[in-house]
Amino acid sequence: MANTANQYYRLRSGLTILPSHQRNIDDILSKLVQKVPARFVLLTDVTGQIISVRGEQGKINVVALGSLVAGDLAASQEIARLMGEYEDFQMILREGQLTHTFIVEAGRYFALMVQVSQEVPLGWARMLIQDASKQLPAVMEKELDKQDTAFSQKMEAETNQVLESENLSDLFDDALDDLWSE
Amino acid sequence: MFINWQLRELNLKVVYYGPALSGKTTNLEQIHAKVDPKRRGELVSLKTQEDRTLYFDFLQIELGKISGLTPKIHLYTVPGQSYYEASRKLVLRGADGVVFVADSTPNRLRANLESWQNLKTHLASLEISFTDIPMVVQFNKRDLPNATAITTLKNVLRLNGQPTFEATAMQGQGVFETLKTIINGVVKQVQKEMK
Repeated sequence: MANTANQYYRLRSGLTILPSHQRNIDDILSKLVQKVPARFVLLTDVTGQIISVRGEQGKINVVALGSLVAGDLAASQEIARLMGEYEDFQMILREGQLTHTFIVEAGRYFALMVQVSQEVPLGWARMLIQDASKQLPAVMEKELDKQDTAFSQKMEAETNQVLESENLSDLFDDALDDLWSE
Repeated sequence: MFINWQLRELNLKVVYYGPALSGKTTNLEQIHAKVDPKRRGELVSLKTQEDRTLYFDFLQIELGKISGLTPKIHLYTVPGQSYYEASRKLVLRGADGVVFVADSTPNRLRANLESWQNLKTHLASLEISFTDIPMVVQFNKRDLPNATAITTLKNVLRLNGQPTFEATAMQGQGVFETLKTIINGVVKQVQKEMK
């Protein structure tokens, strides 16, 4: 098997984040928060599952927000497609009284949301956010180094062991039973 | 499916599909009510002023650790009204499993069939195989005195071995069995894909 991150896209809707991916993603987002400066940054996959959060999270419900960001981006992409204006790395901007919110497509797997104060010049923020949105998919395409390869093989073996266990469905059933109260 | 090895999380997406007013949102409301609040998020609903689903409902539930992995299940509904055709396809994106909520009201047979055909069309356009994606069919509103016979519903939809459940979602009946079965199906499909 080739040691590129592409192998982790093999599942139908799947994306697999390795620790090195997570480090690089967190690094890009932390720099973005500092440079803009941004109040809050959220990265989800296109189905709304949270990958990283940076900035002032406060009491924000990031799980709910993730689903809405992904839904918002998906709707905007479809609007653009219907209007014949579709292009990659689409950006949505909401201008508010105190803050502005950008939502941008970051490659085929990610949706990025950035909230900035209204004092931040929009052009400046837009430029930095667009840069970050292009760096993020590149993280997933990068060749894995030796350490990552060793780690990914170890994790893959462990995960496969879990996923291949014959009683996995029973374990899920038990976990669901624990969840439910009649 | 999305695996985060750093956090040892397994994320799965299940979509509740079906005709308007068949009880998709009610299924999620019942799950929200019955699951320990520490193990579920808020129920997010994008509704019209008439309380009808406009875009989607969303609920995340988190299972206890299984062999070191934490499974997180993301449950979505689609808007059932035919007007929201485009939104339904968007919500189906990335689905690992589908629950089709059929309406047992006698005059809804045609609506069930149209929604079923519509599901097939959308899955095909997303390059998701209708026969491969785990699916459960729930026959809801079985408490109606004149509910359509199960055999009629099965014949109209021409089911091909998909697991089915009778439900009265408003009273919580059949909701958990449906959820358990679709997750079971998704887990088996994930196992198959990993091989």
